[in-house]
Amino acid sequence: MTPVIELNNLRVKLGRREILKGVTCRLGAAGSGKAIGLLGPNGAGKSTLILTLLGFHRPSGGEARVLGFDCHKQPRQVKARVGYMPENEALIAGMSAVRMLRIMGELSGLPPRVALEKAHEVLFHVGLGEARYRPLGTYSLGMKQMAKLAQAIIHGPELVILDEPTNGLDPAARARMLKLVAEMKSEHGMNVVLCSHLLRDVEEVCDEVVILKDGAIAHHANLEEERRANRRFVELEVAGDDGKLAAALSEHGAEGVNEGGGRWRIVLPPGVGLDVLWRIAAREGLDVRRLTHRRDSLEEIFLKAVGHMPRTAGETLPEEVASNGRL
Amino acid sequence: MAVYRRGYRRYQGRLTGEWERLMVLPRFAWEGLLQQRLIAILFVLALFWPVGCALFIYLSHHLDLLQGFGGAAGNFFQVNGEFFFVFMNVQSFAAIILSAFAGPSLIAPDLANGALPLYFSRPLTRTTYVLSRMLVLVGVLSPVTWIPGLVLFAMQSGMAGWGWFAENYRFGLAVVGGFFLWILLVSLLAMACSAYVRWRVVAGALVLGLFFILGGAAELANAVLRVDWASALNPARSMEQVWRAMLGLRPLPGPDAWQCAVCLGVMVAVLAVVLSRKLRPVEVVS
Repeated sequence: MTPVIELNNLRVKLGRREILKGVTCRLGAAGSGKAIGLLGPNGAGKSTLILTLLGFHRPSGGEARVLGFDCHKQPRQVKARVGYMPENEALIAGMSAVRMLRIMGELSGLPPRVALEKAHEVLFHVGLGEARYRPLGTYSLGMKQMAKLAQAIIHGPELVILDEPTNGLDPAARARMLKLVAEMKSEHGMNVVLCSHLLRDVEEVCDEVVILKDGAIAHHANLEEERRANRRFVELEVAGDDGKLAAALSEHGAEGVNEGGGRWRIVLPPGVGLDVLWRIAAREGLDVRRLTHRRDSLEEIFLKAVGHMPRTAGETLPEEVASNGRL
Repeated sequence: MAVYRRGYRRYQGRLTGEWERLMVLPRFAWEGLLQQRLIAILFVLALFWPVGCALFIYLSHHLDLLQGFGGAAGNFFQVNGEFFFVFMNVQSFAAIILSAFAGPSLIAPDLANGALPLYFSRPLTRTTYVLSRMLVLVGVLSPVTWIPGLVLFAMQSGMAGWGWFAENYRFGLAVVGGFFLWILLVSLLAMACSAYVRWRVVAGALVLGLFFILGGAAELANAVLRVDWASALNPARSMEQVWRAMLGLRPLPGPDAWQCAVCLGVMVAVLAVVLSRKLRPVEVVS
């Protein structure tokens, strides 16, 4: 299956500074309707990567492909399939949203009548239906973000690149934006690349995440798998005689380590849910004081990847992962 | 179904061709320009002189209407190269005024609002963008430059007959070709000014100012250095020299038509470089 993004030893220099230093990875699958999160501290190269994918920066080495097309040699094919929502203000203040979207739609190749229809349709979709004839300069920050999203999807692209889409949004608007992004994947089958500083946004919406640091990939994780894997770690605290708990757990294929004082660390096998623990506790006459489903949050993954959190023993170092070509 | 009930659906139908897309920006820009009263007024004012010229041509063929002026009228009402040269000079000034008001509104808002990434993330190159914007000015300036010029030429040919046309067809070519060169120069200048300044009003003033400043600077250089080649730095003067050569008229003192054409070519190249440097989707600070 064609990957959404394929980078082969991609190097990008801006002036004399090398921003992307030989990035290699294959992300997503075309037409799968999945979201890829792009994370990294400031100056990691996220925006440079996005702008290179859009053909705005010329690679100094290697290649970048989007949906199978070379970003530098086939920019027209790439741009015809991509919708881009920039981070910065990009809307022409004196123009109405409908007019702006019509222009953008027609520039993307929509016939004039279709562009007009789609402009109205997409503005209602993002919640700007009532404000669609107002000049964009009079919009609030949240409305502007929605208008930028609308122009990115008016032509129904295969891939939507969103640069900090929830910047400056209040909680309600943020939730709405994330809902729209989730719908773009699930209902419309669009692939999404989400670049954000907000880990919760990425965690909520993305299926795959790439963490950039100093122009290289520090970590690449499949969040779906991580979620599944992490579901197996449980911290349990009980009151009562827990002498038979280890044996009871092993009946279900689970392993438990007694840490003393009624505290247990339990690893559940695939397919075994938390309800089993409740049943065992009831059978053994134990009072459950605390049951924590411990999981590596994206924040922990991120901090480990950028080197602000010690790694767990046995984990692969990002450099090792990046160099073995799996990313 | 009402649009607000329909919900969003991805468009997967036919896409328009490249040429059709090239006309998108001009179409919307013309619509916007024609809604501006000032542009409409300037546009109408710019047509006064061609109407006067048409009257002149008519009278030159109906001297009997001017019997009161005696024989002097016959000498005055002559449609020749000088007539078309004066016509082109006056209309070129009208073109500058129109482009100073219409030109900066094309690029400056895109740059001031940071909208270029939205354009360039679509199948639109910088060249296509500049071409689209230039087409706007070609559309605005043509009805006040080469189109009335060609109408006057056709009118004169019709009234004077085939013999006059065969003898003077170069006037028609000069009017069309000369005005296209002028439109190219003026459009690039208007776009470069608006790309450089970004503030519409200042960009418009700069377009007007540059013609006067360059003209003044050229005269100053000529006077101080006691030369005459500096006239080539004045775009209006250089263009006049080229037009005179195209119309087959006696050249003005100073650099010849070829030297002026080279100078104009350099100006066009400089303006193109300014545009290509300024029209970038992202600014790189190294």
